[in-house]
Amino acid sequence: MDPEVLMIDSKRFTLNQELKRRQFSRKGLVYAGTYLGWNKRLFEPGSPILQMLAAEENTRKVHLDRDTAWLFVCGRDVFEDNIERVESVLELGGHYLVMFDGRCIGYGRFETSAGIRVIRNLFDLGDFLRREDSD
Amino acid sequence: MVVSREETNKQFFLDRYRELGHRLTGDEKTPQAIRMNTIKTSDAEIMETLTSLDIKLTIVPYLDHGYVVEESRFSLGASIEYLLGLYSLQESASMYAAQTLAPNSGDTVLDMCAAPGGKTTQMAAYMGNRGQLYAVDVDRRRVYALENNLERCGVMNSLVYHGDVTGMELGTRFSKVLLDAPCSGNYVTDPGWFGKRSIEDVHRNAEIQRRLLSAAVRHLEPGGTLLYSTCSLEPEENELNMEWLLRNHEAFLEEIDGPGEKGLTEVFGQRLSEEISNSHRFWPNMTHTQGFFLAKVVKK
Repeated sequence: MDPEVLMIDSKRFTLNQELKRRQFSRKGLVYAGTYLGWNKRLFEPGSPILQMLAAEENTRKVHLDRDTAWLFVCGRDVFEDNIERVESVLELGGHYLVMFDGRCIGYGRFETSAGIRVIRNLFDLGDFLRREDSD
Repeated sequence: MVVSREETNKQFFLDRYRELGHRLTGDEKTPQAIRMNTIKTSDAEIMETLTSLDIKLTIVPYLDHGYVVEESRFSLGASIEYLLGLYSLQESASMYAAQTLAPNSGDTVLDMCAAPGGKTTQMAAYMGNRGQLYAVDVDRRRVYALENNLERCGVMNSLVYHGDVTGMELGTRFSKVLLDAPCSGNYVTDPGWFGKRSIEDVHRNAEIQRRLLSAAVRHLEPGGTLLYSTCSLEPEENELNMEWLLRNHEAFLEEIDGPGEKGLTEVFGQRLSEEISNSHRFWPNMTHTQGFFLAKVVKK
């Protein structure tokens, strides 16, 4: 296991220097430091790791206007025509961070669905509200 | 004529408040308020965005980052900016608790009844996401909401525990503790309150709060500060608990300023220590907020 990554059940976290220095009890611990994501069938990243990736210059990003961004956080895919701007080039099968107003609101894969090219929604921040309903 | 339990209770509690010096109607309201998340944005930046969406906000003069929502065309709990963690929905009086404790980056902080995390995320912002912020709650469902809030708001300095904080050994002593205790609540934020609550509930909650207060003092380092708060108007859960604390623990109360009034030193004919006046009350008729009580306890 990567010593920089703390596992709690199936969730992965990373600790800042101040938390790393501290000896803390693991009994009853459910969350620590920065949440990275969780192991489902594959690793599913959480919001903080997406914000970190968005801060990198060379990550692939698509930018949306407010109306399209709202549909995306409601779980919808994004038609190619509704993408406002692309950083790098769109390649079928490629994964892209989905951006609104300079911040990451999720990510998806560029693919063809029923003959139409879309960013398939793989994760969006509307998940926070959906989790509240299902928790 | 048949009088409902709700009407009987309402009269009973309003009579008590009158005896404490306040003629409340039982219909006071508090406007929706939001708190800007300085971990992720500045007040100016998010104000500009929200204003462009025709949301009218007014700054709450006694709060660092709190704004009353005067007008909005959509639910502020379901906007892209909310999902990005740029602000949180939080009642004005409740923002005053973490602001009064004012933890900083050098503190080791314990939030004892933390879920769903409004005050936890607020304290993380005061701490600049540094130091160590322990958050505990006994209710697993509410802890999920706490975890979501920490992730949404970009909090990186917290350790979250699920369990009963009164029996928990966390392996450290804390420079600051927030005990926003489970309480009877108040009618301002709960329209059916008078139909649900009785004086027996108030006494039962006061007992639970005393157990939590003892645990809070145990978790504090000498010289450390406990901020005790409830959203109850009932003196049994507030001033009378502070009187009990001063008699049973080595501690004193520091003065809290702000809107509202000093804590009561005479409750239903019982004279309390003058020191209790250092605590603070938000009365809904004065502050246009929910009822709220705060006390700043320093461990000797």
